[in-house]
Amino acid sequence: MTEQTSFFKGEMEKVHRTLFLTPWPAWVSGVFLAFLALLIFMWWHTWGVAGGFANWGDWFYYRLGLYESAPQRGVLLNGMSVSNIGLLVGAFASALMSRQFAVHRAPRWEYGKGLVGGGLMGVGAAIAAGCNVGGFYSALGMLDLGGALMMLGLFAGAYLGLRYLLWEMENVGQNSQGVSGVGTESRRDWSRIAPYVGVSVFVLILVVFQVYNWLGQTQMGGLLFFGFLIGLVMHRGRFCFANAFREPFMTGDSTMMRGVIVSLMIYALGVAAMKWAYIQPPGAGVYHPFWMGSLLGGVIFGFGMLLAGGCASGSLWRAGEGHLKLWLALVGFFLTNSPMGRLLDHSGVRELLGGGVFIPELLTWQGGLTLFYLFCAGIMLLLVWNEQTEKFTAF
Amino acid sequence: MTVQENLQNIQADHVLDTKGLSCPMPLLKVKKTLKTMKPGQVLEVQGTDPGSKNDIPNYCEKHGYQFLGYEDHPENYTRYFIRIE
Repeated sequence: MTEQTSFFKGEMEKVHRTLFLTPWPAWVSGVFLAFLALLIFMWWHTWGVAGGFANWGDWFYYRLGLYESAPQRGVLLNGMSVSNIGLLVGAFASALMSRQFAVHRAPRWEYGKGLVGGGLMGVGAAIAAGCNVGGFYSALGMLDLGGALMMLGLFAGAYLGLRYLLWEMENVGQNSQGVSGVGTESRRDWSRIAPYVGVSVFVLILVVFQVYNWLGQTQMGGLLFFGFLIGLVMHRGRFCFANAFREPFMTGDSTMMRGVIVSLMIYALGVAAMKWAYIQPPGAGVYHPFWMGSLLGGVIFGFGMLLAGGCASGSLWRAGEGHLKLWLALVGFFLTNSPMGRLLDHSGVRELLGGGVFIPELLTWQGGLTLFYLFCAGIMLLLVWNEQTEKFTAF
Repeated sequence: MTVQENLQNIQADHVLDTKGLSCPMPLLKVKKTLKTMKPGQVLEVQGTDPGSKNDIPNYCEKHGYQFLGYEDHPENYTRYFIRIE
């Protein structure tokens, strides 16, 4: 080996270690996530996840013959569906690069919780017109008041979910005990080659982008690529909204929630710049059902994500990492989200749940942004205070 | 890793099996079990969730438990050792 190649190899190993072997702090993932969400907002429109699951559910029930008309777009041409696929594949590639990919099996009871938790998330997301991403993260980033109400609902739902898990641990404990023989398929044998497979997956995504481009669907190709990067960023920081909403009650730790809020502070500023400058219309992404839908949907969603052990985005990246329980959560999600959405639309209940409230329209841009940042600062202080005193911890 | 040599010699007072469970169940069980143990005792946690490698040391650091280290077992799970102070 010549001196140059060994120098090159050494440098590559350093980059690999920094990016993939050292865990990222939550706030680092949060910063990257804000930029990627903003890129999606510029490139297409507001980033969401549940809409992609609704599309999968629509197709599933249409193929079964239960829906009369086919969905407007195929799974490979629906924006949120495409970015979801990107997110899952991105987490898969990231898990390979960091040698963490393995098929993780779970006890049967846990599979049931994945399916039911996913189903509850699907119902909650249909009521709140979005999941933890579309209904909370993006809604608040777009300065839609419904996002703040869903945040409140998610805290309440996560608290109830945690109480359930504690009850379950005492009363049906043996069902979710670790079982010998259940667990993780061999990772040693191929952990050496896994990073190379990860690089191949990345190259494959670039090729698929090019294919989309040739077919005149550059926008979809871009969404796949941005979704891929989101998957990678979320996996490396183990960026998890379920964790963010649960930990203040479980251990008092608020690291993840502070990462989410840092992310939102950047996201909202970028959105404000784009909307104020009319790069995107001011009303973009403002449709969340304030207040009843966002609050009620948030509670149901929050409870569901505690059972499943992952929110909409978290289930996607954990599925990419190989957890079979979270695959079932995805299935549960699309099975309920699609029919629940239809039910709300056709029964007219949707209108009763509320409508979008654009904060700057109420308070001007200056007032709205000031209020938003005061809100973020207030939540941060509350979280840090709880970390010291553990006033909110459930046990 | 030199730490692993020492981990081999640790006699745990209690072994908590969380193999196959994913977030948040392992940490929830760890928190509950630690509360029932006496100062000086050592808890061994066995688990397969990659998230535990961050969660368990962080939890111990913030709540005054001594995290002794972890090692990957040849049978594809990880063993974590915690001492109650």
